[in-house]
Amino acid sequence: MQRKYYSLIPIMFLIVFLFACQEDEYSLPEPGTELQNDAIKRTLGPNVVGLNLEFAYAMALPQDEGKIVSAEVEASIAGAAGTYLENKSYYTNGSGDDIGVVVGGPSATTGKTTVVTFTKDTCAATLRYYYVIPEEARGNEVTFTFSAKASNGESVSYNMGPYAVANMDLKLDLVATDGAACYLSIADMALYDAAGAAANPDKIDLVYLYRSISGITFAHALVSPAAESQYLPGVNLPSGVNNSTKQMKAWDLRDQQLARLQYGVFIDDLDFQELDFAGAPNFAINMKAESGLWVETEDGKYRAYIFVNGVNNSNKNMTLSIKRYQMN
Amino acid sequence: MKISIKREQGSVLVEALSNRINFLEMRKYLIIPSVIIMFILGWVGCSDFPVDEDGLLITERAECYVSNFELLGADFQTVRTQNAVIDTTAQTIGVEVFFGTDLKNLYPQFSLVTDAKLDPKITGKVDFSDLANPKQWTVVSGNRQVRKTYTVFITVQQQQ
Repeated sequence: MQRKYYSLIPIMFLIVFLFACQEDEYSLPEPGTELQNDAIKRTLGPNVVGLNLEFAYAMALPQDEGKIVSAEVEASIAGAAGTYLENKSYYTNGSGDDIGVVVGGPSATTGKTTVVTFTKDTCAATLRYYYVIPEEARGNEVTFTFSAKASNGESVSYNMGPYAVANMDLKLDLVATDGAACYLSIADMALYDAAGAAANPDKIDLVYLYRSISGITFAHALVSPAAESQYLPGVNLPSGVNNSTKQMKAWDLRDQQLARLQYGVFIDDLDFQELDFAGAPNFAINMKAESGLWVETEDGKYRAYIFVNGVNNSNKNMTLSIKRYQMN
Repeated sequence: MKISIKREQGSVLVEALSNRINFLEMRKYLIIPSVIIMFILGWVGCSDFPVDEDGLLITERAECYVSNFELLGADFQTVRTQNAVIDTTAQTIGVEVFFGTDLKNLYPQFSLVTDAKLDPKITGKVDFSDLANPKQWTVVSGNRQVRKTYTVFITVQQQQ
């Protein structure tokens, strides 16, 4: 390259910088002149029957155009009892708290449709919708149509979904007590005492016990009835209770729906499908708070994840929550 | 006056031509040594540190021992009740595990001296349930000349 061309390089840089630093002029966005709406889904994780799907539905129109008359949500599958649309519009104050302002009467649900009729003269509102996932939605998809009407005759709608509903079941905060309600049935997702276990021996999959034994760390345990007797010290099993449940201990798996803690971890149907219980033991000793246990019933019908919400050495009990998946 | 201008132009032309020749000659002297240096570097780089069948460097280190041992359960938490006892002379590792440890599904972890490797490799869960026949692993030194077989003895915490 000839030397005279080198002098062009600074000029080229100057040109590039000049154009790169040029800012586009900011212009205020023009507000729409008609009724508008928007929606977001607030809940995360798998959609489990019995839990809520929560949405925030916002609607607004210019003040001089009129006021909002009503807001409505239509679900493709009717929600279970407890489904409702908030009659309060929320805003967040300076402290970060959500403050509700009543804008209408309590919602009325008829079949798949939930309606709030506005009583306040307002041109903007954000209502929350809580959809309790019904049994009919298990394994299916559900969609929602949010809509709003204004006093000037305008109406808008917003579609959300489809959302897949999981096949698994969920049971929270069962309290197992040593020597009392200590027989856990995965099929029923319930705890039984000795009399209850004797009445349903084939449904008992695990026995909870707490032992403080010198020289070893036993503490809180979930043991199959068919496990070796050294893992069931001092336990007299009711007649016929003899299932052998496969178990795998887990740590750092604090499912948010079971633990209700700050961790964004969720167990879904797929996790149960991909488990490999080959060679798994039938006992779990020294279970700690916030630990977990994958289990498979002896007949292979159910797989479950048992999360230990808490343990109490004095009262010899354990609080546990379960997600259960029925295998084909 | 005109003659002197022509002379000056002529001398500038000669000078530029001479610079061009110098540059070409210099390039010739640069290219040849560069090729030779690269060839030498390539030769030395490939021959000094060979790699073994696992793609690991074979070095000159002859040290061959286990420096630390860990044993994890299926939940990836330790199952040891205390630190493992490593005897590098007797080539043994003694570990006491908690009562109720699932011995069939354990993950052993060896820390070795620099450049050494383990044979056989640990690729997943290991079954330690046959306490009468303890598991063995061989440590191979960095120069791959020294091999020492360690035996892992497991004992289970017992009631007092």
